[in-house]
Amino acid sequence: MPGAPAGRVNRVLPASLAAAGLALLLVPGFFAPEFLSEPDMANAFAGPGAVPPFGADQRGRPLLEYATQGAWVIALPSLVAALVVMALSTVGGLIACAGGRHVQTVVQIISEILGALPRLVVILVVALVLPRDGRGLLPIALTWAFLSAPGAIDEASAVAARLGGSRFVEALRAHGFSRPRIYLVHLVAFNLRPVVVRQGVETFMQVTFLEIALSYLAVVSNQSSFTHADSVQSWANLLDLGYKVVLGVHSGHALALGLGLVALVAVTAVAVTHAVRAR
Amino acid sequence: MQIALAGALATVVSTGATLAFYEESLPTSMNPLYAQSMVDNRVHELVLDRLYYHSPITNELTSNVTNQWELAEGGKAVRLTLKKGIRWHDGKGFGAKDVCFTVQAMLDEGTTSPIAQKQRAVFAGCEVEKDLVALVRFTKIFHNPRERLGFQVLPEHIFEGNTAIPPDHPFNTRPVGSGPMKGSMGRRGVAFEQVDNAHHEADIDKMILQEAQDPLVQVRTLQNNGVQGIIAVPPPYRPEVAASDELALKSYDLRSWWFVAVNPNKAYLADKRVRQALNQLINRNELRQLSIGVKPDEQNPPCEFISGPFVQSSPYYNRAVEVSPNSDKDAAFALLAQAGLKQVGGRWQYKGQPISLRIGIKAPLEIEAPDLLSQIGNQLSAGGFDRQEFKISVDEWNTKVLTGQSDDFDLLVGKWSFGLVEDVNPLFHSRSGDKGNLNIFNYNEKAVDSLLSQFNTARTDTQAQDAYHALHELLASELPYLFLWKLDTKSAWRTEVRSNTITPYYYWTVFDAWKFEP
Amino acid sequence: MSARWLRPAVRLGAALVLPFVVPGLITGLIWALPGDPASIICPPELCSGTEALAERWNLDKGPWHFFSSWVSGALTGDFGNSWRLQQGIPVAELLEESIPTTAALVSLGLLLLILGATGAATRWLPAKLDPVLQAVGLVPAVVMAMSAAAALTIGYGVEQYSDQANLLRLGLGALALGLADAALSGTVTGVRGLMESERRQRYVQMAILRGEGTLSNALPNTLPALAGQMRARTLHLLSGAVVVEVVLQINGLGDLLWGGTLAQDFGVVLAASFGFAVLSAALLLLQALVEIGTELHVRRSPGGVVA
Repeated sequence: MPGAPAGRVNRVLPASLAAAGLALLLVPGFFAPEFLSEPDMANAFAGPGAVPPFGADQRGRPLLEYATQGAWVIALPSLVAALVVMALSTVGGLIACAGGRHVQTVVQIISEILGALPRLVVILVVALVLPRDGRGLLPIALTWAFLSAPGAIDEASAVAARLGGSRFVEALRAHGFSRPRIYLVHLVAFNLRPVVVRQGVETFMQVTFLEIALSYLAVVSNQSSFTHADSVQSWANLLDLGYKVVLGVHSGHALALGLGLVALVAVTAVAVTHAVRAR
Repeated sequence: MQIALAGALATVVSTGATLAFYEESLPTSMNPLYAQSMVDNRVHELVLDRLYYHSPITNELTSNVTNQWELAEGGKAVRLTLKKGIRWHDGKGFGAKDVCFTVQAMLDEGTTSPIAQKQRAVFAGCEVEKDLVALVRFTKIFHNPRERLGFQVLPEHIFEGNTAIPPDHPFNTRPVGSGPMKGSMGRRGVAFEQVDNAHHEADIDKMILQEAQDPLVQVRTLQNNGVQGIIAVPPPYRPEVAASDELALKSYDLRSWWFVAVNPNKAYLADKRVRQALNQLINRNELRQLSIGVKPDEQNPPCEFISGPFVQSSPYYNRAVEVSPNSDKDAAFALLAQAGLKQVGGRWQYKGQPISLRIGIKAPLEIEAPDLLSQIGNQLSAGGFDRQEFKISVDEWNTKVLTGQSDDFDLLVGKWSFGLVEDVNPLFHSRSGDKGNLNIFNYNEKAVDSLLSQFNTARTDTQAQDAYHALHELLASELPYLFLWKLDTKSAWRTEVRSNTITPYYYWTVFDAWKFEP
Repeated sequence: MSARWLRPAVRLGAALVLPFVVPGLITGLIWALPGDPASIICPPELCSGTEALAERWNLDKGPWHFFSSWVSGALTGDFGNSWRLQQGIPVAELLEESIPTTAALVSLGLLLLILGATGAATRWLPAKLDPVLQAVGLVPAVVMAMSAAAALTIGYGVEQYSDQANLLRLGLGALALGLADAALSGTVTGVRGLMESERRQRYVQMAILRGEGTLSNALPNTLPALAGQMRARTLHLLSGAVVVEVVLQINGLGDLLWGGTLAQDFGVVLAASFGFAVLSAALLLLQALVEIGTELHVRRSPGGVVA
């Protein structure tokens, strides 16, 4: 990369993009209105020029409200799920280096079984079991995180195994490093970091897509929303409005906004992955 | 480009003689004993025969399967003589044993159906006197007993005489009937095939019922001749259908009216002045305009306001009770103050506690009236009430709301549909025994019970009307419901479908006369 | 047991128990659902037969009784009748229709991923295309499926469930599964990263100097990791198939599972999750066999070498 010394990785640009993306995803949600504005039929399907910055829906309500409400629904639970997966995969990597064979076998058996569960069914049942006032994306995101963790643990364990597992630890001990330093710095920070963070951002993206899918499925099944209050709009409502452009409805701006928001999540995820990649 | 491609595909694919239409949903069961929705009722009308029905043209009680009838056993029984030559769809003969089997199935405790449960209060038994003569016994003398014989007849031979019919019997998906069409339900739709019979000769060979999609997709498919009909067109899409020369909007009389049920068990809603205030805060004109698209000055609107539990065309509607189409905040605030509520920072409080109204709506209603829930919420919020909004699935509505177990809600938005007999007793009578079994919030008012009893015991139409007129007036004051409107249901059919008379409530009763000329 | 055989052994064991553990876990979860199927059909307030219905469906003595009754029936191929989704239809009949459909859908989607993986491994697919694939992968599967469903419905109308339309539906569903949610782009970049990293290993460089092929040396060592990646991708496709099947109205296992759960048709839910578990177990088995085969191949003594 131009400007970077040979052998060094330029993290400035991806880190900046990642920070900007996270800020755009997390902060606007705090300013989301509790309820949508009053309809203004004169502005139905108005474009961004007439109703800045993103245009209006079929009732003239600003799409900005959809975007901010959707961000509020998605951002924090996705982040929490990502952190849970990262924590569990880190633990998996540590166990691969520190744990005995029996522990690893038990972890592997649990991982294989959990990993083979039909996730969406478990998610749906969890969503339906939640009491009406407790419905939200967070319990679903956490469930998804626990179901995704086996794959993350597997990968982290594989990375640790490639280092040599417990022999890696022994070798560094022989060099005089303390156990905490070996585990936290040499293992986690230097070697597990890229895979753990990548797993985390993948979970972040998956929870976002999961929320969109569940919200849309609730709409087509005439169900109460599984992931948010019924008075709140999610990004799925944007995409549902937007896809009607194929039916001749003037909602292309909604589709562009919806896909743009999804792209923002993906770009943020890619940027984070690049920012923490290994040398 | 996608529309052009879709149009090209539509011209390549020919529908032949198959009439396809969209229904609101797939039926839950093809067995009338397990009907749970209007879709079920309509489908059963095609596949099975009711003993008696009201002609949609003359309104007379008539029958496709009986020749004659007479009262017996002092009026506690009816002797029915069935027509000869009627066959079930599998070719077996239709007879008195089938009528009696159906009655026995309803009486059998092993038939775990709420519909059968209700019929146990009506029927005492049935006897096969001859192959085509059945004696149906009632639990008491009824004023017009044939009105009670509106149930569909089931085939005894399919159930091998076992009168305990469970909900997971194969008949419930692949029924054998005696109606104009033989039906079979799949995962995506119901296929119907015409069957010639002594009493039916439908002109249309095949039909396909498909589950409703996004309303816009439905209308586009109809315009492209991908289907030929839509049973219920949501109001926002009717102008587009009406504008097409190839399509026709037809009225489907469902006698349905919309309401907001108010929970009088909540302390702050127990005082009727609070309910009256809520009524004053609702601007019906604005609700109607924003959710259904009807302007205030529109001539012959499909959506007519009501002030009580009947549609305006009903003989039970009390015209002396006026509707309130607009809101009156001053009047509402005065009522709330009289009831002891206080406004703090623009929000109403009861005994020092802020009031947050939990408002629910039956989820499918949001298709007919988009955003109705949020508009009601906005109006109440503008009136100083915080609110939370919820959509309620059909299952939860049937098992919790209708059985009076939804006390965690303050307001519930719903719709009732009636056939020719608008019996509102189950809605407002206090719950006891088999009375008031559709009383949403277990509303309990002696004066109302008294009027409902008067209706039950009425011997003449005038007595019945007087009782219900008084009920209308009382309910308009007590307001266990905020009465909204009657919304016309419209079907859309392509003009190739002719002579398509739509029977109120049951829809397909005179299907034999329908013609399809593609 | 030697460590290298532990992993495949665990996978083999898991593959055997999965078809019963998964329905068991699902039983525990659906038991927590509010209400029960008997009360939905025959609410106690409106109907006196609720208890009889619960007894008929083995719902009256707790989840273990229900599950053990179901297992004893399932072992003889009797999954009972559907209670609500398709009242009275044998669940086995629904499974017979659904399993091949889902298998076809996921296989077609997987074919796309395998083509992408092969292209990335052999470098036939240039790295310059990765941003294009990533951009396409940004579109959620639900959006692709929604657009495809609308076009099919409007285009085919009443014939939308004809054989021709169903084939097209399957193809569009597979495309949505394979392209959307970064499935293909993730596979391509993952495999490319793995293979490039392996190519840089010294033994591969030495093999190239000896005139041997890169893939023939690198592939045996990367095969277990590749198999693991593809299995994870396949599971992801299986999960995504639920959404695609519901939106595109494909009569597969995912659609059955979704409808059954919403309707609390426990027999259908358990049978469908059994079907998913069988597919997952098959994948586990395949991965275990690949690992075992690779281990045997890697440790095979070449001919002519004196031990």
